[in-house]
Amino acid sequence: MTRAVGIEAMNVYGGMACLDVKELCLHRGLDMPRFENLLVQEKTVALPYEDPVTFAVNAARPLIDALAPEERARIEMVVTCTESGIDFGKSLSTYVHAHLDLPSNCRLFEIKQACYSGTAGLQMAVNFLLAQTSPGAKALVVATDISRFALADAGAVEEWAYSEPSSGAGAVAMLVSDTPHVLRIDAGAYGNHAFEVMDTCRPGPDTEAGDADLSLMAYLDCCEGAFRDYSRRVENADFRESFGQLCFHTPFGGMVKGAHRHLMRRLYKAPPKEIEADFQARLAASLAFGKRVGNTAGGSVFVALAGMLETVAIDAPMRVGLFSYGSGCCSEFYSGVVTPESGERLRAMRIPQALDRRHRLTIEEYEMLLRGESVVRFGTKDAELNHQIVPDAWPVDAAGDRLVLDAVVGYHRKYIWI
Amino acid sequence: MDSDRIAEIIIAEIRSTVPELEAQPITRADSMADLGVDSIERSEIILATLEAIGVKVPMVQLHGPRNIGELADLLHAKSKA
Repeated sequence: MTRAVGIEAMNVYGGMACLDVKELCLHRGLDMPRFENLLVQEKTVALPYEDPVTFAVNAARPLIDALAPEERARIEMVVTCTESGIDFGKSLSTYVHAHLDLPSNCRLFEIKQACYSGTAGLQMAVNFLLAQTSPGAKALVVATDISRFALADAGAVEEWAYSEPSSGAGAVAMLVSDTPHVLRIDAGAYGNHAFEVMDTCRPGPDTEAGDADLSLMAYLDCCEGAFRDYSRRVENADFRESFGQLCFHTPFGGMVKGAHRHLMRRLYKAPPKEIEADFQARLAASLAFGKRVGNTAGGSVFVALAGMLETVAIDAPMRVGLFSYGSGCCSEFYSGVVTPESGERLRAMRIPQALDRRHRLTIEEYEMLLRGESVVRFGTKDAELNHQIVPDAWPVDAAGDRLVLDAVVGYHRKYIWI
Repeated sequence: MDSDRIAEIIIAEIRSTVPELEAQPITRADSMADLGVDSIERSEIILATLEAIGVKVPMVQLHGPRNIGELADLLHAKSKA
C-alpha cells in the first residue's frame, strides 16, 4: 500500500480589507443579471502595506505556531506558488522562511504557472515525501496572489469590466507531511492536460492582459482533458460516482458551473435538471470562501477545498476530486480523501471569523486605492508605507501576530508585526 | 451540412440558452457578445452546436470568429476536416 501523504494542516488568509462586489457592479453600471452569474459577493482588496509576502506569512503563521519545536524543525522545504512575484530572481519563499523563523536546512523556491502554481507546489511537496529521501520531513507550501488594477482612465475600467469584480487576493498555506489530517492525496491518481495558449498573461510587472472567451474555452478543454487523463490512469474512475465532493479552480463561481455542466454533458449527456442538482450537491459548498475573497489564482483550488471542508458535514471518509487550471496553460485533475477530522481541523482555523473582521471599503476608499499612488510597484528601490491610508482598516485589536510591509530599503522589503 | 444550416442551429441554440432573445431577429452578421450573450452562455451555445452537428474539436480551436456567420463557416470547415 502506498504511504499516506498529503495536507496535514491548512489555512486561508483573506487580508485586511474587502469590497462588496454588488456595490462595485452597480457603481460601474454593469448588467445585474450577469452579475448574479458570477457567483461572487465580496472580494479581498490588498492594501498598499499588504503584499504577497504578508499574505503568505499571515496564512502560514497559525500553522507554524501550532507545531511543537521538534515538528517545526522537520520543515525542510518552503515552496511559494504565485503569479504576483516581487523580484525576477529572489523568491518570496526567502521572506516567508525568515518571518516564520524556520530551520536553516531548508529548500526554498518559488513556482510560477499562473493559477496552476499551487497544485504544482503541492505535488512537488507530495512527491518529495513519497520519495522518502528524508523520512518524516514536512514541507510548507503557500499559494499567494494579489491583483492590483490601476484605474488609469475610463477606457481601462471598461476593459476590466469582466475581471474587476472577480479579481481578489488571498493566500492558502499548507503543511504537507506523512500525517495528512486534512487531505490524504491519492498517490498516482492524477491527470494532466496542457497546451500553449495566450488566454491570460502578465506581460509586464504591473499589467495583465486576457481574453475572457479564450480563457473559458481553454478551461473547459482542460477540465475534460485532465479528467480523461485521470480516468486513463485510475481504473473505474467515474466523474459522477467516484467523488463525494468536487473542488475546482474558481476564477468565479459561474465558470466552475460552466465547466461542471460541460463535463456532465460530454460524459453522460445529463439533462439540465440533473446537472443543476449535482452542482448543488457536490460543488456549491466549495464556493463558500471563493465568493468572499474573489479569484485567488494559485490558491483558488485550495480556497475551494477549505470552503467545502468548512461547509459540508463529513461523517465518513470521502473522496474529493480537485481540478486546477493555470492559464497559458497547464491543468490537473487529482483526488484525495477527507475524513471528519479534516473538517474539524479546518474549522478550528476560524476562517469565516477572520473574513468577517476585514474592513469593508467604501467605493471612495477603493477608488483611492485603485489610483495606486501609495502602492509599492515592482522594482521599487526605496519606500515608506503609509499605514493610515485607510484609517479604519488598521486593526484596533492588534495582537502582534499579523505581518505588514513597513518600508523598502535598497530593494529589501522590511516588515513589522502588528 | 452547409454553413447556413449550421448558422440556423447556432441561432436556435442562442434562443434556447438566452430566452430573452427568443423574439429578436438574429442574422449571420450579428455577434453573440453584441446580442448580450455572456461568455459562459457563448461557450454553452458553441458546445450545444458541436453536439448537434456531431463535430468533436477542442474549444480553443473555435476562438476568433467575430460573428455568427464566421463561426458557422469555421464549424463547417471543421466538420469537413
